Amino acid sequence: MNTEKATDIVKKTIAKVTEHELAITEDMQLVGREAVLDSMKLVEVCLALEDFADDTGFDFDWTSEAAMSKSRGMFRSVSALAEELSRQWEQAQ
Amino acid sequence: MILVTGASRGLGKAISERLSEKGKRVIGLVRTPTSCEIECVQCDVTDYASVKAASRQIKQMKTPVESFINAAGVAAMNMAVTTDETTVQKLIQTNLVGTFYCCQLFSPIMLRQKRGVFINFSTIAVALALKGESVYAASKAGVEAFSRSFAREMADFNVRVNCVAPGPIRTDLLQGITDTQIQNIVSQQVIPKQFEKSDVCDLIELLIDPRASSLSGETLHIGGV
Repeated sequence: MNTEKATDIVKKTIAKVTEHELAITEDMQLVGREAVLDSMKLVEVCLALEDFADDTGFDFDWTSEAAMSKSRGMFRSVSALAEELSRQWEQAQ
Repeated sequence: MILVTGASRGLGKAISERLSEKGKRVIGLVRTPTSCEIECVQCDVTDYASVKAASRQIKQMKTPVESFINAAGVAAMNMAVTTDETTVQKLIQTNLVGTFYCCQLFSPIMLRQKRGVFINFSTIAVALALKGESVYAASKAGVEAFSRSFAREMADFNVRVNCVAPGPIRTDLLQGITDTQIQNIVSQQVIPKQFEKSDVCDLIELLIDPRASSLSGETLHIGGV
């Protein structure tokens, strides 16, 4: 799964969780002051990505240090989350 | 399924036995699984990687987790001025950080279920500001503060979080404490008697019961303060 496909999956997941109420861009922040999702929605996105990973045959770990770091973490943007999803998929292959 | 840390001895063991007797499937999360008389998973609460591995193992069981009871803990009765660094680190790492690791890494299971109960352990020493328990009380005060905020974070997902704060219950943790010291503590409780492990088990049963669905973010003091 390349980053492009992962980005598509992340965008579709956010759209589903937010009931298509947001225009989702790759630089959209997921945590911090500029975050567009509230924490409950972010958890729902993570659980949905975990389900996707289960169905695809790998573990998506969203409670890691990499996930939590504000400056480097995977929640700093949609593209960062997609990169991490793709990285974890590749690691499992 | 109910998960209990520190299930190989003390309150954790008593709680595990009680809930097993009541027909619940209880899994102990313990450092040394061979030390446990019930079904166990290896888990050192002070070690992030170990807690994470245990949570992954539990998740793979694909069985709903009804409750998570953070009973693992250590105690040390010393004046702050005579408490060595190793003891300070051990108290904070096991009691506070260990509780946090377990809540953080097991909460995704309950968030997914949109139901569940966390029970963390504090001590009556926090509310009574007991002399000679400053570091221990500080570690447990952290657990209380964490639990209150964590309860709010979990509430949207129908997950409840409460703390139980016992007085001097007769377990290994009381080794080295004299009867006079125990009586001194007990005399400061609203109900001035030394309670038993069975009293703690009774309260745990109450807190995990759906009839306690209105209780979250609370610290319940055994004996009262």
